[in-house]
Amino acid sequence: MTHTVSEHCEDCPVHNLGNLTRLGINMHQVDFVVALAGNPNTGKSTVFNALTGLRQHTGNWPGKTVARAEGGFEYGNKRFKIVDLPGTYSLLSNSTDEEVARDFILFGQPDVTVIVVDATRLERNLNLVLQVLEITDRAVLCVNLMDEARRNGIAVDVRQLARELGIPVVAASARQEEGIPELLKSIYEVASGTYVCRPYRLEKTSPSLEKAIGTLTAQLKSEFPDLPNTRWIALRLLEGDQKIIDSVKSGELKGLYRANSVNRVPQTAATAP
Amino acid sequence: MTDPVHIVVAAGILILAAAVFLLPRHGVLARMKRVHKDARRVMIEDALKHLHDCDYNKIACTVPSIAGALMISLDDAAALTSRLSAMGLLVPTDTGVKLTPEGNSYALRVVRVHRLWEKYLADETSLPQTEWHSSAEDREHRISPAEAEALAAQLGNPLFDPHGDPIPTAAGEIPPKKGAPLSSVAPGEWAVITHIEDEPKALFAQLSAEGLYVGMRIKMIEHTNLRIRFAADGEEIVLAPVIANNLSVELLPHAETVPASPMATLASVTVGEAVTVVGISKALRGQQRRRLLDLGVVPGTLVRAEMRSVSGDPTAYTIRGALVALRNEHAQMIFIERGERVSA
Amino acid sequence: MDNKDSILSTAHALRYEIGEDIHDTLVGAIYHDAELIASRVTSRPDGKKASTFGATLDRFLTNRWFGFPLMFLLLAVVFWLTVEGANVPSGMIASVLVDMVHPWLRDTLTSLNSPWWLTGVLADGVYLAMAWVISVMLPPMAIFFPLFTLAEDFGYLPRVAFNMDSLFRKAGAHGKQALSLTMGFGCNAAGVVATRIIDSPRERLIAIITNNFSLCNGRWPTQILIASIFFGALVPAHLAGIITAGAVVIVALLGIAFTLIVSWGLSHTILKGQASAFSLELPPYRPPRLLQTLYTSLIDRTIIVLWRAIVFAAPAGAVIWLVSNIHVGGVTIAELFIDWSDPFAFVLGLNGVILLAYIIAIPANEIVIPTVLMLTVLSAKLTGVGSGAGVMFELDEANAVADVLRVGGWTVLTGVNVMLFSLLHNPCSTTIYTIYKETKSVKWTIVATVLPIVMGLVICFAVAQAYRLVVG
Repeated sequence: MTHTVSEHCEDCPVHNLGNLTRLGINMHQVDFVVALAGNPNTGKSTVFNALTGLRQHTGNWPGKTVARAEGGFEYGNKRFKIVDLPGTYSLLSNSTDEEVARDFILFGQPDVTVIVVDATRLERNLNLVLQVLEITDRAVLCVNLMDEARRNGIAVDVRQLARELGIPVVAASARQEEGIPELLKSIYEVASGTYVCRPYRLEKTSPSLEKAIGTLTAQLKSEFPDLPNTRWIALRLLEGDQKIIDSVKSGELKGLYRANSVNRVPQTAATAP
Repeated sequence: MTDPVHIVVAAGILILAAAVFLLPRHGVLARMKRVHKDARRVMIEDALKHLHDCDYNKIACTVPSIAGALMISLDDAAALTSRLSAMGLLVPTDTGVKLTPEGNSYALRVVRVHRLWEKYLADETSLPQTEWHSSAEDREHRISPAEAEALAAQLGNPLFDPHGDPIPTAAGEIPPKKGAPLSSVAPGEWAVITHIEDEPKALFAQLSAEGLYVGMRIKMIEHTNLRIRFAADGEEIVLAPVIANNLSVELLPHAETVPASPMATLASVTVGEAVTVVGISKALRGQQRRRLLDLGVVPGTLVRAEMRSVSGDPTAYTIRGALVALRNEHAQMIFIERGERVSA
Repeated sequence: MDNKDSILSTAHALRYEIGEDIHDTLVGAIYHDAELIASRVTSRPDGKKASTFGATLDRFLTNRWFGFPLMFLLLAVVFWLTVEGANVPSGMIASVLVDMVHPWLRDTLTSLNSPWWLTGVLADGVYLAMAWVISVMLPPMAIFFPLFTLAEDFGYLPRVAFNMDSLFRKAGAHGKQALSLTMGFGCNAAGVVATRIIDSPRERLIAIITNNFSLCNGRWPTQILIASIFFGALVPAHLAGIITAGAVVIVALLGIAFTLIVSWGLSHTILKGQASAFSLELPPYRPPRLLQTLYTSLIDRTIIVLWRAIVFAAPAGAVIWLVSNIHVGGVTIAELFIDWSDPFAFVLGLNGVILLAYIIAIPANEIVIPTVLMLTVLSAKLTGVGSGAGVMFELDEANAVADVLRVGGWTVLTGVNVMLFSLLHNPCSTTIYTIYKETKSVKWTIVATVLPIVMGLVICFAVAQAYRLVVG
């Protein structure tokens, strides 16, 4: 995680800027991009609103937010752009919502991906968390609805969870603005590189699948040595994901390894095409 | 007497009518011509598909078999054969006709589109399975190669169609045939259905009415010349041998863990009862299957029925800490196990 | 072969080896780990079980005997609060915007030396249409939407969907359609937006296309007025209220019946092949927050819908004024159209005025009655009523309205058919626009627009013929 862009890829586009622009993000005067992922009805929109001061409609419903929303905030003298991804249960299928979220995290390479989960349904929500951690190694977990969990007599040990997952975990009740300052701090730390994540990665699936993944990751590693998520790429290839097949073919994958954001100079980046 | 306005109106109507008929692309005449041309292409493509089928199943193709498959007269079939031959798509052999390499690659393209469509219809739409084949038959001729590739990409480049047939790759590769006829399974042996032939339609309708699907595990009970009896998903199914021939299976080694008793489904669970999921029926496909997986309905999941709706269906279950309502029709396709792991 | 190709061909070959179950295997493995992690970090420190409040409430709300009555009771209370509560503020807004600001605006424009036609288009057309839409639309929505949002926030609505699902399943639809349907009683545009909660493509399309069969609050006043004139008047005064309410409720129930029938039809014909997936999550109950709810429902639903309606009403106001004031060969365009379409309208049991009113008042159902009154006065050359050509108006007394309508040739048949036509006609332009935005499909927008109007024409025709056969 200490490589710089110039050490490894002289000619690839500076960082992830091109991709982000292509994904429709106006990168003017932005230091860091934060993606917001989560299951439907986990209070993702409330977290988004608390972070940005915007007022998106939220409701006690799964799937309120359909269009992608963007907002911004400042913290520690840095400007953050936050992109609210569609609420999904998973990132594996080819439904539009899941594709949008998956491609944004993979190709857009946000500096931080914040995953919002419902403290009262942690197990179900971890499905998405573990999938996100397969793709990116810069994530912050926001365990939301802690008030509701307390009311239901559920305690969540966030420090233990942080140790298990290898990423910062923040307990929050976004409706009461509880935990938002801590969330901002964690986002800042991961974005600026002061906190280095060691994300949990899936190890066992089935013997035949593991064998296939092993074969494929070995080949991928020799062609794309800097890829931080080779295993995920291998899985996507085995699922026949056309976008990944194309990006292997075109070599676009090469540009998709994580450069340390500290080395990124946003002011010059903003003027790049 | 004649009002100039009337003349103008009449002329306008005439011009409009002429345009409707004669417009180069959207006019009625152009359309009729296109339909005729399309019909010819459909003929050719269907014949090629039939020839490919023969090839794949290693049986001889003849002019009468083409006539039978396409439901056309012998004369028409002979004319079609000579046209295909003139196009360099087939050559005669001792026993009948067979595809040339060009014919084969054309046929594979048609087969690919057909099977992609079937896969699409099975996974991404809620069309009943008896209609997949005819609907795909209809659409396979109306799709450009680029559209076919976009479809394949959207579906995640599937390898098999819903009947278990391999889908040829864009490069025209197709793996060799696998599986044995159902009659090769001895009583007491376990097998998994790998293919259900979708033609002729009447036989396929019978098979799908029995609830058979690719990936279904069966245990042979008896087979005689009169009937073949086997257990599948906890039910006993009896088929006439002529129908059973349309099923291909692969033997399962005995080591496979297959529940011996009929499998209970989630639909049989009473309110307040907790059970463990052992699997989702392969007949549950596409979006609905993914939804269940996403919600955490995987083998080993503890599920508890909490309440039924006022009208008795759907039922709400606690699944991995969340309260989720499922309809009876879907609960019937989730296999469960009672006992063990169950805690209140 | 270069490296990249060899990676891809390896991957392809491996796919045949691992089979098609990869997705299942993967999700299974993820959940296996998720379960382990969750069990290590979550606990119930007080040893107490999950709060029983939710479970108890659920049992009560889905109880065979209480479930439905409770639901209807709540719905009835919401409607009563909306209709009753909206009366006073509606009147107040109207008296300010129509009775005070309108004359002032006219005077100001005139004093600025604006030509008469400009004053007409701006003050009598554009302004008046907007004022009407605001005064009729705003108060009910400002009451209905927050109430609805409160129930939503609390978590009651998913239980309604749970209870109603079986009925909608038989029609090939999703239980959540019960909610977009109810929302449609407030406003069809909001109802169409509410279908977002339906996460199955086919069922969502069904809900969008059939939402117009929910009698929206722009159409309630029309229904109530016509019912009281043509049915309430048939019985003694003390029964009039009940009969009127009964007639309106029958029309609303008819709307629900059409919703189910058309849903069934759609799911078995043109939408047969659309993808469908059902699951309904029942979230835990949450204490609703009053202020937040008021704020978001006002901003998100009421104001946005109102804004769209105003935007569409403004040009319609201009058109209404213009057709009643532009003369061709000595008569206005409106009269030309009315005379021309009268024979056709007669076959449908309606009249030319009604057809024209529904065509030019497409932006908002709220202005149909004022437009009908104005056009009736215009075409029947009445004097002493109304404020002149192109100026919409309403009368305080239902009796006065009845007199105007009778002069316009209305019979009981006209009354019945107007009520039916008000239920079964194209959605207002705000809704059409919203349908397009939600479906992103011209095809489905056209279907949703044309289907109800065709049904309306057919049914009005049938009723008219039957009525004339029986009554003569």
